Formats: sequence, C-alpha cells, structure tokens
Amino acid sequence: MRRRGAAVTELEPEGARPLSVCCEGVSFRYDEGATTIAALRGVDLTFAPGASVALLGPTGSGKSTLLQLLRGLLVPDEGRVLLDGLAAGEGDVEERRRRMGLVFQMPEMQLFAATCRDDVAFGPRQLGWSDGAVDEAATSALAAVGLPADRFGARHPYSLSGGEQRRLALAGVLAMRPGLLLLDEPFVSLDPASRRDLEAILRDLRTGGMGLVLATHDVDRAYALCESRVVLDEGVVVDAGPWRFGAGGEDVLLAHRLKPPFVVELWRRLGRGAAEAPPQLTAAAEALA
Amino acid sequence: MPLIDIRGLRYRYAGAADDALCDIDLAVEQGEFVAVVGANGSGKSTLARLLGGLARPAGAARAEVCGHDLCSDDGHLDVRRDVGVLFQNPDNQLVGATVEEDLAFGLENLALPSPEIARRVDEMLARFDLEPLRTREPHLLSGGQRQRTALAGVLAVPRRVLVLDEPTAMLDPAGRDEVLAAVRREADRGLTVVLVTQEMDEVLLADRVVALAGGRAVFEGPPAALFAERELLHELSLGLPPAAEVGLALMERGALAELTLTLDDLVAALQAGTP
Repeated sequence: MRRRGAAVTELEPEGARPLSVCCEGVSFRYDEGATTIAALRGVDLTFAPGASVALLGPTGSGKSTLLQLLRGLLVPDEGRVLLDGLAAGEGDVEERRRRMGLVFQMPEMQLFAATCRDDVAFGPRQLGWSDGAVDEAATSALAAVGLPADRFGARHPYSLSGGEQRRLALAGVLAMRPGLLLLDEPFVSLDPASRRDLEAILRDLRTGGMGLVLATHDVDRAYALCESRVVLDEGVVVDAGPWRFGAGGEDVLLAHRLKPPFVVELWRRLGRGAAEAPPQLTAAAEALA
Repeated sequence: MPLIDIRGLRYRYAGAADDALCDIDLAVEQGEFVAVVGANGSGKSTLARLLGGLARPAGAARAEVCGHDLCSDDGHLDVRRDVGVLFQNPDNQLVGATVEEDLAFGLENLALPSPEIARRVDEMLARFDLEPLRTREPHLLSGGQRQRTALAGVLAVPRRVLVLDEPTAMLDPAGRDEVLAAVRREADRGLTVVLVTQEMDEVLLADRVVALAGGRAVFEGPPAALFAERELLHELSLGLPPAAEVGLALMERGALAELTLTLDDLVAALQAGTP
C-alpha cells in the first residue's frame, strides 16, 4: 500500500490511461421534502475505454445526475457503477475514479486562484504530485486548451474572455490527467467562435485517445464529436448505441424532445440515406459539391 | 417616434476601468423585432438590463424607452412597467406555487381587481398553451414549459416591449422551438421584441440585427446582410447558421450561386441543380 509521508513524499502522475465504466441497474432519487423525484431508474450502460458517447435527453431527463454518479459524486440508491470491472471499495477503484475528469456546467464559476497557472495547478497539487510534476501538468494542460503558459500563466482568470475562462476551467480538469472526460453542457452560453474553439480542443483530445461522455442539447456538436449516443428520458435509457436515424417521425430523437443533427435532416430532405450523413458540415459540403 | 430612441448611451460597472457600453445609438420602431449579437463580454446583457430599467445609464444624449427617460430618477423605474425582460434561466423568474399563481403575481402587484386578474390569467394560459398545466408546480415542468410560463408571467402585465436575454440557452431542442414560436407569435401580434442571442439561426427570426463588440455597436442591418459580412463575423466571434455554413462551403466549391440561410433554401437551391 502506498502511504503519504516521509517514505513517499513526491507522487508522480499516472499517464492518461483510458478506463471502462459500467452502470448496472443504477437508480437514484432526489428527496425534496415530502416528495421524492426518481432521477434515474434501472440504468444499464457500458462506456468502453476511449469511447466517445453523447448523453442526450430533454431537460430534467437525468443527464447531469448520471455524470455525477459516474464520477462517484453521487452514490446510487440501487445498482452499482463499475470502473474497469471494480465496484466501490474494491481494489484500487479510487485511483481509477481520479482518472475521470468531470467538467461541470458553467465551470468558470469555480475559478478562484489569482493566476491562471495557480488555478490549473490546484488539482495536481491536491493529488500530492511533486512540484516538477505539478508544473509540467499545468503547462501542458494550458497548452492543450490554447492558453499557453508563457502568455496566460501569470494572468488573472477574471481578465480572460468568457470563452477563455471556460477553457481554463477545462485545463484545470485536464491537468489531473484524466483518461475519461465527463462534460456537462460545455457549449452553453459561449459565443459561436468560442464554441468552435472548444469543439476543436475536444476533437484533439479525442484524437489523443481521451474518452468522452458529453451531456448536451447541442445535437450537431454531439454528432460531430461522438461515435455513439445514449438517449435518456425521465431517468430511463430509451436507446443506446451507435447513431441511427429513423424515417422522420419514427426518429428516437424526435420522439424525446430532441432533433436530429442538421446534416441528417439535410440528407433526409435530399432523399439521401440519413445513416450516410457525414458528422461535420464541411464534410457534408464536400460530399454535396 | 421610435419606441426605443437611444443616442450616445454609455454605461460602466462600478470599479471597472472601461465602459461596458459606449456611444450606443439604437432606434427601434413599434412592432419591430431586433436581434442583438456579439462575443461573450461585448455588452449584450448590459444593454438588455438598461432597456428593462434594471440598471441606469452613466449618460446619454437621449435614452427614451416607451417615453421614459432611462437616465432620470423616475424614468428608469417607470420603464419596468412597459418593458418585460425574460432571462436565460426561468427558475430565477418563477415565483408562484402553481402556474396560474405565477401568472397572477405581477397582476396582483398592480392591485388590479380580482375578476380582471382572473380574466387576464385565463387569457395568458390559452395564449401560451399552458391551460393543461394551470395547477401544476412550475419546478416540475419541462424546461420549455417553465420558460413559457416565465414568458407568460412577464407578458401577463401588458407590455409594449419584450427584451429577451438568451432565453433558449438552457432548453432542449423542443423547448427551444416552443419558446421561439411563442416569441414569434407575440411579435406577429405587434409586440416590439429585442432578442439577445448566441444562436445564429435565431437571428433569422428578426427583422434587423445589431452586433456589439467591446461595448460599441459595430453593425446594424438585416440578418442576411450580417451573414454576408464574413470578415466581420470572424472579427466579432460570430458564425453562420448551419445552412449558411454548408451553403458557403458549396459556394467556395462553385456548387452554389447564392448564400442560403435556412434548410429550406439550401434544399431548394440544391434541388434546382448546379448554377
């Protein structure tokens, strides 16, 4: 067993190893005084290592609750969440939990340090990494979100634009070297350019092997970034797996207050197979030209 | 005379080094639908707050909204009666234990007679498709239903101008459509609308769009004119509606003659064949 103390004063970060997450019969309820609200009911899902999965569903369908259950911030009332096959309390499941980075809704509200570098370094420091490792992690995380340390490290977080603040908050999570990134509505309230920047960063992380679970109402970006999707409604998984689109009204997304991606709708209207719709607008234009 | 008549308006937050808004000219006629766009921090929400009388300008050559002077002691308070403001998160605006109580709240504050309040609440329930939800608790409704309730509550008091600050940001796609349809209907009934948004396809609902950058108005014109200004869009951290993005990429490849803004236009142009 690894102890903190004289024998091991300087921990080094683990690499960003991907991990598998599995929900088995997970249910969760919020107690609100006299009433109890079932946020999730009997959720069975598997997230393979390195997979990118969109969580789609109407407001109140349980997306944010599911992200917090995956990360272990909430404990299921029934069922269990397995990390690499390990349940809570088994083996080094806590080390695996740390490899999941959760980016909350409006994460820039949590920025607190006097400089960007200190804000990003906070997480790694809490993990007890050596000064050198903390520094290296902060520098590379800032670079990954397009806020290079030499230009932004010494700046005050509140001097950044809204989009930059969002990316700084993401860097704070990336600095802890997650193998799986859980994101709750990351594009909300950003201007179009900031959304494009964030999408490009997430795409780069994907290319680098990072797993993604992306809870969002932005179906176009979900389709562009994720290979598969989970559709939740009223706390129940109504569909899960690779993207597939029914004909018009039979579409599972339309049936649950969602919309198919723009390119899918375009393909349908042009009489092309919806399943063939490319994930990105530029690719769609190339195919049409 | 325009309903919103503003010249040289300026605003600065307490302790800030720079103006949040500077040299703003804005004239909006009765019944117009104006969208306001700009990067995060460009001053959009500040403008919405000033129009609704929720903050007072630091100065202006003229700042009249519905005949009230926003710079005067009384004017920036009185304007709140004529201008309704709807924000991003309906939960911050819902006060009633049920939908109908929520709609009655503003009317009760005006000390209207009870039959008049009841008549007005019924009218709003019908107008915003909330009749089946009248006795439901707002916090148990869907996002779109909550935002429609908040909108109905704002408009239960007769308003001359509706100001919306990113009203669909928190909503699922169906909820977004519901709220936008309700706003469009109110505009068609003659309500003057100012919509602050980050959604480029929502801009297409407006007659006119104003773009802000660094607290200044840097563009004013019809949506199609803004979307034709590619360099400006880039400078302002804005973008195109998806149909225009595909359309532009097709134009660059010589496969489309004119920029299309909506899915319908794009489909029609593609089905008409190559230029």
